[in-house]
Amino acid sequence: MFGCYKKSIILYCLHRIADERTVYSVFHLLNGKKSSQTIQDAFLFQLTPFFRVYPSMTRLQFDQHLTEMTKVKWILEYEPSQYRLTDLGREALKEQLKKQPLPVNLNGWKYHQLSVVFWERLSLLVQVISNLMYSNSKYLPIQRKKETHLWLKQFLQDTKMDRQVLAQKVFNEVVDCLENSTSIQPEFLISRLTGAETIGLTKEQAALQYSMDQDYFELQFQSILHTMLSVIKEKPVQLPLLNKVIQSAETEFTMTVSAQRTEELLQQGFTIEEIATFRKLKRNTIEDHIVELALNKPDFEIGRFVTDKNVAEIAEAVKKVTSKQLKHIKTIVPHAPYFEIRLVLAVFGDSL
Amino acid sequence: MIIEEVLKERFGYSHFRSGQKEVITTLLAGKNTLAMLPTGTGKSLCYQLPGYMLNGQVVIVSPLLSLMQDQVDQLKINGEKSVIAINSFLSFDEKLNALRQLNTFKFIFISPEMLVTENVLARMKSLNIALFVIDEAHCISQWGHDFRPDYLKLGYIREQLGNPLTVALTATATSEVRADIIHSLSLQDCEQIIYSVNRSNITIAVEHFQHYREKRDRLIELAKRLQGPGIVYFSSKKLAEQIAADLKQQGVGNVMPYHGGLEQETRMLIQQQFLHGQLDLICATSAFGMGINKENIRYVIHFHMPMQFESYVQEIGRAGRDGHPSIAFMLYSAGDEMLQHQLIEGELPDESQISLLENWLNEQKPTLQNVTEFEEELSLICGLNEIQLRLTLDYLKNCLANGNDFSVFSSKFKNFIRERLDSKKSKIEEMVNWIRSEKCRRLQLLDYFEESGQQQMNDCCDHCGFSIVPFERIEAENTESKHKEVNWKERLADILLKKREGEH
Repeated sequence: MFGCYKKSIILYCLHRIADERTVYSVFHLLNGKKSSQTIQDAFLFQLTPFFRVYPSMTRLQFDQHLTEMTKVKWILEYEPSQYRLTDLGREALKEQLKKQPLPVNLNGWKYHQLSVVFWERLSLLVQVISNLMYSNSKYLPIQRKKETHLWLKQFLQDTKMDRQVLAQKVFNEVVDCLENSTSIQPEFLISRLTGAETIGLTKEQAALQYSMDQDYFELQFQSILHTMLSVIKEKPVQLPLLNKVIQSAETEFTMTVSAQRTEELLQQGFTIEEIATFRKLKRNTIEDHIVELALNKPDFEIGRFVTDKNVAEIAEAVKKVTSKQLKHIKTIVPHAPYFEIRLVLAVFGDSL
Repeated sequence: MIIEEVLKERFGYSHFRSGQKEVITTLLAGKNTLAMLPTGTGKSLCYQLPGYMLNGQVVIVSPLLSLMQDQVDQLKINGEKSVIAINSFLSFDEKLNALRQLNTFKFIFISPEMLVTENVLARMKSLNIALFVIDEAHCISQWGHDFRPDYLKLGYIREQLGNPLTVALTATATSEVRADIIHSLSLQDCEQIIYSVNRSNITIAVEHFQHYREKRDRLIELAKRLQGPGIVYFSSKKLAEQIAADLKQQGVGNVMPYHGGLEQETRMLIQQQFLHGQLDLICATSAFGMGINKENIRYVIHFHMPMQFESYVQEIGRAGRDGHPSIAFMLYSAGDEMLQHQLIEGELPDESQISLLENWLNEQKPTLQNVTEFEEELSLICGLNEIQLRLTLDYLKNCLANGNDFSVFSSKFKNFIRERLDSKKSKIEEMVNWIRSEKCRRLQLLDYFEESGQQQMNDCCDHCGFSIVPFERIEAENTESKHKEVNWKERLADILLKKREGEH
């Protein structure tokens, strides 16, 4: 008996980081901690889909899962806070993923913020249109945030459509968005929507209705939202109303505020040393920010920080070692600072 | 316009419920009023309706943020847009904005701690207040079960506002508490409108158990037998969840837990599902019920006893608002009161925490002026939880405002806490005595609220005798057919396009 899907995800992540990080880097990833280290790890080990998929999981619950999995000998704590999968664990994971595969369109890193706003707006919009269609004016909005209410008011004012037309268009767009993606089950999302006559299901109820554990349902639900978001971004012209739903909810990319400040100063021409002195931060911290920038900005210029020669040598070294642990790479290119190795991994990590 | 017309036009009702009309006409005659109306009789209408007939604003002081939100929602559902709630949920900017436009709102809800801040009070003074409403007025009294130190200042505030026409509302208050309310608010020539707490359509039954296990089994049996909808009250979130899960496993479908620890969206959905008849049973903590205007709740079961009669009467009063026969069960197993004792101790700081506070005060004394900025520090240093912190801060602020000497603060505060603890403990004892007694439950309850009993009625209580048969469900619940597979597109069409299966 597997218990819950969170365990599969933890196992999967442990499998990916393969001895190179402590187990808590997995916790921070699933929790969505916005630290440079967590962000780098997410990219380095290709775990970005799972960034912040379980934001409300507590450390206590996480430890509980570890204890349980240790007890059944799926994982082994070979050094304090360092866990690895046993053969039994690998088998269990394989078995589990066969039964309940990882949702394919999950993209926690890209959409963890947007999907929250998207759901709040979409569910309220649907409820409001439904009550308009049923000519029911006395109901309680299912979403409680004032911003969401204000947004809706604005949305209705801007679209200025007859209710029938609006309802039909929203219907068409949602169907269009969901219908052509083969790997999702739209009913998971639709069953959670509230209308004039039926109130939507809670996550717990929906999971029960579709006979799956709540953690797995949560991921499936997220993956539907992420699918919709990528479809909307792919063809905004065909989906004008849904595109409007995500407008002004966009956060360009997800960087820490501190890293954004560093970016501004870099653009003004300051050096790492100068920024560190100016901001009263350690040099290390500024370097973390720059690695974060490298991960986030497609147009990041590595040449400013690493010479072409070093880039080539480090890249060569990365290919030679099987591990992504920095110290192993460093033994091959002892003259390259860790910072440069991290930058090369950040920029070329996937292709190496 | 006569008030029945306003009732019909604004609220869509054709009749008043008991007490409402009397309170409203008294207020419209310009008399200050203290109204005690039992739960479920629609107290809020007593200020909403006169609000529409009076020129000026209605200011409603409400002790609980959730209660305030519920009342705002109700007004908005009825189409009233000119309503605002001023409380700690507002951001700094929102608060500034709200204060600036305060005179444009008809109904202004405000928490007592907001009202006492100087700039808010100054702004309130400039309004034309037609009616000043004190909701849950028993909070004013130290003898009340829900004393809020902030409420003590309402008398002063009322005076500052030029003694506007005032109505104090409560569902349950002994004569001692009522005297306190009138005195604190200095309500001269106050009209008291007191309605019985008795709800004659609710049968009251108490059952005793030796062990927790037996009690749990009985609850499951009752949930299977009784005609819903129903509510089961627990004092523990964890148990509410656990039993809800047990009930599901036992085949009692359509049951969900509800407590303050759930995500907001989940709470909203469950509450709405219950109102829409999609759920038959809620396993709840006392967080559930405020603002639930559901007429046809058929039973309320207490799996844990409440801390005092006032809460008990409110909670069972959620049943049978439509006037049809309903039943309240109290399930008691020996030692249940221990949990209540633990809970009240958790609400109050203990002696060691107060000593830590004393040390901290001694260090800060020369400079301490504004306690608010030390909230976090205080809660860390003294290990205070949220409820304890609120109470401590209230007391401390009072002390500062009165220029009290800190050297006696700690002994005074300890005394205050001891008194609160004793009073709460004796309220629990009263409940336990009631549970153990062999006299008519109803007469004893009425006696507690200083009402005289009425003649013998049918299905009164377990001591007078009642039959459970009328409360049983006629058919077994059908859980099978409810989850019939509906194609997602059809469901979406049903929601958005009002198209049923087969109609397109």
